[in-house]
Amino acid sequence: MAQRHAPVTAPRAVDESMTLLNELQRRPLDPGYAEAAARRAAAPSRARGGVAWVLVVVLSGTLGVGVAAAAVVLRQPTADDRQARQLLEAQVQQRKDEVQRLSASNAALAAEVSTLQQSALSGTDPALLATTQRWSIAAGTAPVTGPGLRIVLSDAQAAAADPENLDLRVQDVDLQVLVNGLWAAGAEAIAINGQRVSGTTAIRSAGSAVLVDLVPLVGPYTVDAIGGASDLQTKLALSSAGQHIATLRATYGIGVSITAQATLHLPGSGATPLVAASVPDDALAAAGLAGPTPAAGVPESGPDNKEVP
Amino acid sequence: MIAILGLAVGVVVGLLVQPTVPVELQPYLPIAVVAALDALFGGLRALLDGIFNDRVFLTSFLSNVVVAAFIVFLGDQLGVGTQLSTAVVVVLGIRIFSNAASIRRHLFRA
Repeated sequence: MAQRHAPVTAPRAVDESMTLLNELQRRPLDPGYAEAAARRAAAPSRARGGVAWVLVVVLSGTLGVGVAAAAVVLRQPTADDRQARQLLEAQVQQRKDEVQRLSASNAALAAEVSTLQQSALSGTDPALLATTQRWSIAAGTAPVTGPGLRIVLSDAQAAAADPENLDLRVQDVDLQVLVNGLWAAGAEAIAINGQRVSGTTAIRSAGSAVLVDLVPLVGPYTVDAIGGASDLQTKLALSSAGQHIATLRATYGIGVSITAQATLHLPGSGATPLVAASVPDDALAAAGLAGPTPAAGVPESGPDNKEVP
Repeated sequence: MIAILGLAVGVVVGLLVQPTVPVELQPYLPIAVVAALDALFGGLRALLDGIFNDRVFLTSFLSNVVVAAFIVFLGDQLGVGTQLSTAVVVVLGIRIFSNAASIRRHLFRA
């Protein structure tokens, strides 16, 4: 009688579809161990040769060193992180050096321009030279010196313990109010931490840094103003800027020290290139600059890009 | 027994000397270490079972590490490196767990 089904040799396991998992769970040990044990049981153990012994020691020692080295390497920060950090640090340093180099060259060029201007104008047009010098003081491009007032604003003592609280720090708005108050009080030239404040200088904050003329400054902030010291001080105290400073000192604990200085040296800011603005011809004529020989008197490459006919 | 002693000595030497691992090999280190752990637990269990064998231990150790690293390398080449690493870790992890359970039964009879 023909069998309708193939002979069943073994009962089908219920979990036959999970043989991989079963294999893993039930026989986690390398089968090699059992085989070796069976071989040893079958044949009486023979003495192992010296070469095999040395081989085992060397191989196991090498593996141990490898595992230890791997573990040590894995516990360190990855090389990629370090490389990226080093790259960024190098870039920051490079850019800083570049900025320093460029600002030095900018200062040298500005000095050269003013020297050339002086030598060119002193012979031909002393009146124009005087006007230029007077205006460059007002524009903040020429370094100036004179008596004045030094005001130092420093962060409150508590700011170190509470770095999140911006009220305890000197902010851009405090410097803006102070500088405007000094201008109103009759200051002739102002610099903050050695950065000359000119007509186009912006005082603003970027993050936690205060930028003056786009240069980041750190506290304490020294504001130097040239003018009559006692006069400046009186007018400043009477103004709203004076009240603001008093509030900073009394309410937020910000350090304010105001001292009269016999001599202050303020650097000139770099020449401000005018991109869009130009002086109309009739205004030049009215100012008496367009003299009989304007082309000879005014060098082509002045400190500004003012269009001079 | 010599193999385990040699391994221990090697680990101590490696920790003292701190040799540098070539950068090209570094992606395969985590998986290789897991594979080494698996072989180590297998050897410990065999020791407790009384069937430990130096040669089997060393060959399983070496082949585990090499094969695991090779699988990761292959996976990286095929673009499925992470998934294959996960698969290897799952399989080796299950084995480590079962062997650890067996060792526990041997040691504590529970």
